[in-house]
Amino acid sequence: MQVTETLNEGLKRKLAVTIPAQDLASRLDAKLDEIKGKANLKGFRPGKVPMAHLKKMYGRSAMSEVMQEAINASVNETLSGRSERAATQPKIDLTEDQAEINRVLDGEGDLAFEVSYEVLPSVTLMELSGIAYDKPVVEVEAADVEKELERLFRERRGYEDKGDDAVVEDGDRLGLSFVGKIDGEAFQGGSSDHAHLTVGSGEFIPGFEEQLVGLKKGEEKQIEVTFPEDYGNKELAGKKATFDVTILHVDGPKSGEMDDEFAKSLGLDDLDKLREIVKSQMESALGSMGRQHIKRQILDALDEGHKFDVPEELVEAEFNAIWNRVKHEIEHHGRSFEDEGTTEEEARAQYRTIAERRVRLGLVVAEIGNTNKIDVTDEEHQQALIAEVRRFPGQEQQVYDYYRKNPQALASLRAPVFENKVVDYVVGLGTANDKPMTREELAKLIQAEDDGEEGDHDHHHHDH
Amino acid sequence: MSKYSHYDVIRNPVITEKSTMASENNQVVFDVAMSATKPEIKEAVEALFSVKVKAINTLVRKGKVKRFRGRIGVRNDVKKAIVTLADGQSIDVATGL
Repeated sequence: MQVTETLNEGLKRKLAVTIPAQDLASRLDAKLDEIKGKANLKGFRPGKVPMAHLKKMYGRSAMSEVMQEAINASVNETLSGRSERAATQPKIDLTEDQAEINRVLDGEGDLAFEVSYEVLPSVTLMELSGIAYDKPVVEVEAADVEKELERLFRERRGYEDKGDDAVVEDGDRLGLSFVGKIDGEAFQGGSSDHAHLTVGSGEFIPGFEEQLVGLKKGEEKQIEVTFPEDYGNKELAGKKATFDVTILHVDGPKSGEMDDEFAKSLGLDDLDKLREIVKSQMESALGSMGRQHIKRQILDALDEGHKFDVPEELVEAEFNAIWNRVKHEIEHHGRSFEDEGTTEEEARAQYRTIAERRVRLGLVVAEIGNTNKIDVTDEEHQQALIAEVRRFPGQEQQVYDYYRKNPQALASLRAPVFENKVVDYVVGLGTANDKPMTREELAKLIQAEDDGEEGDHDHHHHDH
Repeated sequence: MSKYSHYDVIRNPVITEKSTMASENNQVVFDVAMSATKPEIKEAVEALFSVKVKAINTLVRKGKVKRFRGRIGVRNDVKKAIVTLADGQSIDVATGL
């Protein structure tokens, strides 16, 4: 086997490889020997076929297999001989000339081909200890807790029937039937026998709810509304419609105070207990927000600290993934780049830098994990799986089966866990600056980061 | 005799375990036309493969009687020729014609 390097530029490599005909021939013989015991040819008992005849019958197909094997083996061998790791599957260029290939298949010509690939850059890790990051310290304020409690209370207090002579007021929940008509014709999806509506919630077309106020139970009324211009259904948008509405029942919000009684209805001992729980929930939400912020800073620092060329093909793949999603979203919402205040070129350039960052971070994270022996245990993997399954209530079984049948999908769950572990490791080495801030400030920070790069959690990962 | 009738005489080579064994004795086996005689076979082989033939043995393998849907039918008989080549001569049956 002869290997000559024809290109060595940055991370790109191109090799010309020649496998001599004798080499192929000996491989072919070995292959035929294997077939020999199994071949079932007319006129011969299995295993009794003479080599010459076998070669005539199976030589070509065996040869193409042998060629494939020889190419793969030689590429692997060459790569390990050069102690390089290819970023993606190496590309193999055989000659286009059919006559040439035929000669090789006949075992007369040397097999020559070109391999092109990009090597994975060897990552030299920066000094990991002492990365300074801001640790947001957010106190949950009593006022916030009260606000949250209030919201919970309003949501949970329930409704009760206001009786037969009830009058619709703002905040009531109604049962109503209606028939919607445009130009006197009932239209599709505009009627209901018994719909529920909370007055003032804004669930229906603007103007609809307001006109119900003051109606009595059992009363009928014709309501005129105009569909907004940006209504979801194009056929209805901007049109005038009349609704014949009948109020079936009126439920007013249950009276009652936010007191121990309310807490009991939620299965808790008293109001203080409820307050405590609300507070701890808010704290944990803030905690995970804070973690997100720290993680972002760590990744920024890692990105800053490692400047090396990344394999273009990986960037390209990552970019295409992002780009397809963006394009899909844009088409889906019927918007254009101009609406977003950018042009397609600008957006492309922006997403390309994001892709490059992701690939680089992926490599760095993998390397940190490798050198520091950070690994995802099966247990953690299992936990990630369970967490994922929980996200689909009602179809746990299907989701679980999906992951069980798709090892690749299962492996993809491993990536975020791995990333988090690595980030935790680096965080442990770094130094934290406590930085008090309010909840709004933290939310704003995270929002700003997300605009810079949507979703940090689906970083590109390499199996190591 | 023209070349075409040579092809009429010799139908195809027989490639089996037995014929492979025969080839060790410098013999080649062909299916030939039922009407072909030894001199004709000799002439055809010598013309088509440009070899010298030492001897010809022939045999007729009778066709089997087969039943198909209760009716009796007979498979065609086949005449085989075992051609012994002169010393130093050879035919590569694998290459075909």
